[in-house]
Amino acid sequence: MQSIKNIFRNTFQRAQTIEPSKVAYGALTVVNVACAVHLFLNHVGSISFVAGPSMLPTMSPSGEMVLESRLITPDSFKRGQLITYISPLNPSRIVCKRLIGLPGDIICVDPTGNVVPSTEHVVVPKGHLWLAGDNAEASRDSRMYGPVSMALVRGRLVAKVWPLRDAGFFKNTFEYID
Amino acid sequence: MSRVFSGIRQTWRAASTNPIFKWTFSTLIWLPTGIVFTDYFYTVKTVAGRSMQPTLNPDSSPWRDIVVFDRLTARVFHQYNRGDVVALRSPSDSKLIVKRLVALPGDKVKTLPPYPDAEVCIPEGHAWVEGDEPFHSEDSNYFGPIPLGLIDSKLDFIVWPPERWGALPTPKAPDPRAPRDLNWRRDMADFERQERRKARVTIGSDTS
Repeated sequence: MQSIKNIFRNTFQRAQTIEPSKVAYGALTVVNVACAVHLFLNHVGSISFVAGPSMLPTMSPSGEMVLESRLITPDSFKRGQLITYISPLNPSRIVCKRLIGLPGDIICVDPTGNVVPSTEHVVVPKGHLWLAGDNAEASRDSRMYGPVSMALVRGRLVAKVWPLRDAGFFKNTFEYID
Repeated sequence: MSRVFSGIRQTWRAASTNPIFKWTFSTLIWLPTGIVFTDYFYTVKTVAGRSMQPTLNPDSSPWRDIVVFDRLTARVFHQYNRGDVVALRSPSDSKLIVKRLVALPGDKVKTLPPYPDAEVCIPEGHAWVEGDEPFHSEDSNYFGPIPLGLIDSKLDFIVWPPERWGALPTPKAPDPRAPRDLNWRRDMADFERQERRKARVTIGSDTS
């Protein structure tokens, strides 16, 4: 008991001798490290949760984690990639959809004919992408708000990391018909 | 292995006495905090081009304006007000452009010539932006309503040139009894332009 008391007393005495400038420096260092980690997650890549039914069957509505790469350039886009972008309907929401059309492509707006007649076609303008969910029934995507500006794009999904039995890289499901 | 480490340590000791090395190293170490600050709080930028004349880069000024942009309200809190001057990513080529926020979701706007429809209703999550100088500006009258997510920051403060130093002024009607000199007419013109812009917008019920 005595020794524990001594330890407490010693710690207390030591705490009194700590200079405030050192505490401030330590706090700043913690902030700096946090900023560095944040920058890495924001510009290189991070692991995040996905939710919502719009990407069924590629991703289940809840409880899955994916690896998102932020290393993208405007000419690295390929049709069939899973793209994350800021929702044009709500600036605080990040959504993920499949890249269907690149600038210059002619797109059938809605092949299912649910939102608009399936005879309507558009050309994707310069600097824009056509993005659509895999589950057309439960997806709000380019069929609704049109082509999405590349300035809204954040990154692309590389691999599924959770649940472990489904873990693996996302395959490009796009097939070209001659 | 230990030899390698002691070698590194010795090089380090030798280098850390060099003042230039010390300065560079401490700057590099604190760089993450600086970048995060400019990304999420405030940043200083030069405005190029004449689309925001006469609010920014007026013809009377020989310099380009240097201004402070506030990223906190736009990027973190997602608050937008009609009449704010904002920097946004151009939807076609992702370059930063400076425009005035004219209408928010739910509003009705009477458009200007290049736009095909006479009146638009701004859809959910979108906004209408225009330059103050309508004939030198590629704005919503060209590319239509823009997603709010493209808005990068809000202009807060003019730093340079020194005669216009200060927060961005809101035009007010000048005193009708004051002498009608050059300044009076300029104030009146600014105020009338603001009123004309406001008159083209019917504020909707959606305030999100």
